[in-house]
Amino acid sequence: MPNVLTVRGLKKSYGQKTALAGIDFDVRAGEVFALIGPNGAGKTTTLRIIATLLTATEGEIRFLDRDHRKEPDFVRERISYLPDEAGAYKDMKGLDYLHFMAAFYAQTREQEKEYVDRAVAIAARRESGEPSELADRLSTKVGTYSKGMTRKLLLARALMTKPALAILDEPTSGLDIINALEVREVIRRYVKEGTSVLLSSHNMLEIEFMSDRVALIDEGRILDAGTPAELKAKHDARNLEEVFRSSLR
Amino acid sequence: MKRFSNLLKKEIKELVTKQLIISLAIFVILFQFMGRVSKKEVQKAVGVQTISALDLDGSAGSQALLKGLESARFKILDQSGKTKDEALEAAKSGESKLLLVIPSGFGESLTTLSPSEIETYSFMRSFSLIGTRSQIVVQSVIGALNEALSNSFLKEKLPDLDPQSLKRPIKSRDFVVVHNRVGEGSANNVAGMIMQQSMLIPIVLMMIVIYSSQMVISAMALEKQNKTLETLLTVPIKRTSIITAKMLASGFVGLISAGVYMFGYQGFLGGFGEEAARAGAQSGGSALMQKLGLTFSTTGYLVLGLALFLSILVALAIAMILGVLAEDFRSAQNMIMPLIFMVMIPYFISLFADINSMSLPLKIFILAIPFSHPFLVPQHLYLGNWGMIVGGLAYMLVVFVGLTIFAARVFSSDKILTMKLRFGKKKSAVA
Repeated sequence: MPNVLTVRGLKKSYGQKTALAGIDFDVRAGEVFALIGPNGAGKTTTLRIIATLLTATEGEIRFLDRDHRKEPDFVRERISYLPDEAGAYKDMKGLDYLHFMAAFYAQTREQEKEYVDRAVAIAARRESGEPSELADRLSTKVGTYSKGMTRKLLLARALMTKPALAILDEPTSGLDIINALEVREVIRRYVKEGTSVLLSSHNMLEIEFMSDRVALIDEGRILDAGTPAELKAKHDARNLEEVFRSSLR
Repeated sequence: MKRFSNLLKKEIKELVTKQLIISLAIFVILFQFMGRVSKKEVQKAVGVQTISALDLDGSAGSQALLKGLESARFKILDQSGKTKDEALEAAKSGESKLLLVIPSGFGESLTTLSPSEIETYSFMRSFSLIGTRSQIVVQSVIGALNEALSNSFLKEKLPDLDPQSLKRPIKSRDFVVVHNRVGEGSANNVAGMIMQQSMLIPIVLMMIVIYSSQMVISAMALEKQNKTLETLLTVPIKRTSIITAKMLASGFVGLISAGVYMFGYQGFLGGFGEEAARAGAQSGGSALMQKLGLTFSTTGYLVLGLALFLSILVALAIAMILGVLAEDFRSAQNMIMPLIFMVMIPYFISLFADINSMSLPLKIFILAIPFSHPFLVPQHLYLGNWGMIVGGLAYMLVVFVGLTIFAARVFSSDKILTMKLRFGKKKSAVA
C-alpha cells in the first residue's frame, strides 16, 4: 500500500522545551494508524503539525508525495482535523454549521449538498439505520447540544468530505459507550471507503479495536511501532497497555 | 472568494446578535426620548418666561423697567398690593421663576441718578443651567435699562456730546486672522464655534474605535473559548483571509453600531444644538466662520473621513493582535483597555490642551499615537496645515500596514496557538 503520509526526523521545540525529539512514521492508504502515549508525550503536537497548525522545528513530512511544509493549501484541501475538546459555533444550528464547513471544501453547490448529506447521515443515523438523538436536533443551535452530540457533529464534519487523511485526536472523548461504539464503526466504515486515519487516544482498548498499526510515543520519541498483534507478540503482552509498560522499561 | 464570503457572512452573523439589536434599539429610543424632553425644556427656557413683580414704587421709571422685561418675552404676574413676604409666598407657590421687587422711591432715584436697588428672588426648583436662565435675562434687561438711563442723563447734561464717547473714550474693533483671511469678530466666539462644529468628531471616533476593537478582540477570544479556532485554521482558507474577514465584519458592524449610537446621541443633543445654531446665526457667527474659511469644504470632509477610516483600520489591526493574546472572552475585556487609553489620551488632550504649545517630547508622544491624528485633522484643515494632514494620514497608513503584516505573521505561525497573555496561572502550550 502506498503511503499517504511519511514523517521523518520530526522535531519540535518550544524554546528550551523539546516536545518532539525526532520521530519517524508512515500512514498507509486505507489504514488507521494510532499514536498512543501518556499526557505530554507529543501526540497532540504531532497531530497539530500534520494538520498544518504548528510548524516543525526540523524534519520532513510528505503528504500524498508533496512537500507538506511548502504546500499547506494542498494539504488542507485533503485532510480534516478533529482536535481533542473541539467545539462548534454555539449560535449556529447544527445543519448551518455543516453547510458552513462544507462550503470551504466544495467546488459547487451540488458538492456542498453532497457533503452535508453525508454528514447528516453520520450524525443523525446510527449504524443500524435508526435515527440518533441528533436527528431531530440538527435544526437547533449547537449551544443546546450535549457534549456527546457536539462530538458526533464534529466527527460528521471531519468525515463528510471523505478526506485522504482524517486526523482524529481522542475521537470518542466525552461519548457514552453506545455512541463511542457507533463512532468507531463509522470511522472503520470510512476507512474501508478509502479514508486513511491518524488517531491519538488514551483508550488502549479503542486503539486495539480500531487500529491497523500503532506507534508508542513517550517524551517526544517513538518507542516502538507495529500492528497490535505484532507488538503484543514482541513484548509477550496480553494487551496494548502491557505493551506500553514493557516498552517503557 | 466563495470561501472568503462564506467566512465573512459567518463573522457578521456572529456579531449581529439579538442582544446587539435590542441594546441598539433601546439606546436610540431612550436617547431620542431624552432629546425630545430636553428640546422641550430648552424651548420653554427660551420662550415666554413667567416672573412675578412687586412694584412698590408705581412710577414711570418702574413701569419702564417692567415694559422692558415684557419686551424681553417675560410674562409678568403683578403682585401689587401685597407685602414683600406675601408676594414671595405667592410667587413661590405659582409658576414664577423669579420675583422682582421694585422698592418705593425707585423712579425718583433714577431721575436724580442716585443708586437704586431692586431685589430679585430666584426660585431654584432644579439645579440645571436652564433653570437659572431667567435671572440672567433679568440682569441683562437691567443692564440695558442702566445703559439707557445713563445715556439719557448724559444727553440732558451734556447735549453736545455723544454719551457713548464719554463712557468709552477708547473703542476697539476686534478682528480675527486665520491664515491669510481676516474677519471682524471675537477670537473667543470663533473658538467656541469651532468647538461646536467639531465636538462630535472625537465622540464618533471614540465610539467606533472602541466598538469595532471590542468586536474583533471578542471574536478572536470566542474562537479560542469555544475551541473552534483550531478547526478554522485547518480548513482550506488563507490565514490572511481569516484576519481580513474578522476585521471587515467587526469594522462593518462597529461602524453601523456607532452610526446608530450617534443617531441616538445626536437626537439627544438636538435640543441644545438647534438653539446654539440659532444663536450662532443671530450673532453673525456663521458669516464670520465663512469669511475666515473655518467651515469644511467637500475636500475637508473627505480628508476627515479618510482620517477616521484609517484610525479604525489601525484600531482593528491592534485589536486583532490583542485578540490573539486573549485566552478567553473574559481576558479579552482586559485586553481592550490599552486600546481605550490610546484613544482617550488624544481625546482629552484635544479637549483641554493645545498640542502646538506642548514640549517637544510630549508632542512626539502625542503624535506617535495614531489616534491623535483624526483629532488634529479639523484644526489642521481650518489652519491649512496640509503638511501635517498628509504626514498624519501617511503615518496612520504605515502603522496600519506594519500592524497588519505583524498580525498576518502571527496568524501564519505557531504564535496563534502558543502566544498568550495570562492574567492568572501559567499553563504549558505543549501537549
